Amino acid sequence: MLLVWVLIGSLVGIAVMVAANAWLGLNEPARLSSLDDAISRLDTDAVGFDAGEGILAEDGSAALVEAADHSVIGLLVARGDGLVIRYLKPGLVRAARIGEGGQLTIKLADFTFPPVTVPLGQSTHIRLWADKLNAMQG
Amino acid sequence: MEIPAFVQNIDPIFIAIPFFVIAVFAEMLYARATGKARFEPRDSAASLMMGLGNTVFGALFAGLLTTWFLFVYEHRIFTIGFAWWIWILAFILDDFIYYWSHRFAHTVRWFWADHVVHHSSQHYNLTTALRQPWFSPLTLKFLWLGSAMVLLGVHPLMVGFIGGLNLIYQFWIHTEAIGKCPPWFEAVMNTPSHHRVHHATNPLYLDRNYAGVFIVWDKLFGTFQPELEDERCRYGIVRNLGTWNPIRISLHEWLAIVSDMRHAASLREAMMYLLAPPGWSPDGSRATSKQLLARWHARRGSTPAPASAAAPEGEIQSPAE
Repeated sequence: MLLVWVLIGSLVGIAVMVAANAWLGLNEPARLSSLDDAISRLDTDAVGFDAGEGILAEDGSAALVEAADHSVIGLLVARGDGLVIRYLKPGLVRAARIGEGGQLTIKLADFTFPPVTVPLGQSTHIRLWADKLNAMQG
Repeated sequence: MEIPAFVQNIDPIFIAIPFFVIAVFAEMLYARATGKARFEPRDSAASLMMGLGNTVFGALFAGLLTTWFLFVYEHRIFTIGFAWWIWILAFILDDFIYYWSHRFAHTVRWFWADHVVHHSSQHYNLTTALRQPWFSPLTLKFLWLGSAMVLLGVHPLMVGFIGGLNLIYQFWIHTEAIGKCPPWFEAVMNTPSHHRVHHATNPLYLDRNYAGVFIVWDKLFGTFQPELEDERCRYGIVRNLGTWNPIRISLHEWLAIVSDMRHAASLREAMMYLLAPPGWSPDGSRATSKQLLARWHARRGSTPAPASAAAPEGEIQSPAE
């Protein structure tokens, strides 16, 4: 019984610490300032990324950048105050669907990467990017 | 041989927990006041849950591990008591073994599958220190590296106590709030600066500074890298996680190994996926830490990179997992 109380106490303690963390407002959502910013981050991350065309989310929360030789699409997504990057190759994309208001939802075959919705707004290129991603389905 | 009462009755980590909690709150307030430390509530929640899970699973595995260590102790080479100087020697030996165990945890994917959990946060604060794996006994390291001191004749309770002290020391070095310590201290001891390098994914910093308490091991064995002002640390793993789910954090690399081995073309390839350094792949479509570093040097023109590290022409390699 003591162990159960220790466990409950630990969970309460964790909740208090996380609440304090949120209350203190210690984080700001990560945002990409421009497509150049996205390309620069890919270049640093991959120790060299020869970028071709790209597209930036309206709010800077994500970007898609295709490699110049079309072999890979770099996907950058804001998660909390950091960015997570994936290099999409054939077989890594489950689906890319266009939703209302120019939202592109991307599902990957990746245990550690939940589906992401990228607000691309009224971009005329949204269909093009959805097709590029769907061409990478396994 | 008489076992001191405090070794039997005191768990140093249990005593340290209140201080851990106070230190985390203090670091949060420091972050609020100065902006010099970064926190993200969901990341902190994941780290703290990983720490709690580590304790729970540790308790579940305790019976198995205790039985094993008592068995080894029955077959010990020497009988070593609890003299004060034994404590000092045992602490140094434990840290030496920790260095090698930690080095293997980064260079053998089987062991990395467990240790990657600790590195999986993009933040570097005191909650990161508590982000610990749940299934460590699956690595079976306790059968050899973990048993070395007991086989030598150090009592299992002393090994456990000293291991706890080692872990407590490593708590405070997980912070950006402390810059550099006095030079004499930086020269001998593991410090926040040295350990920031260890948690960074910059190619120059990958697989460096494995030390637990004494940084001298890295200097002796050629794995030391000081933190440089013009190379700011980027924390996490080469392929960062997009989830804060503790179960996914715990299992992702184990599942990736199973998936790679299932699709291997031969038994040799399957074993390489299990035992080679993280990032190894038969077609070079991923990259190990050494390959990333060689590529980084090649870009800067600082050191000629070996041909094997260069990406095939016309192909962009994705970073190591």
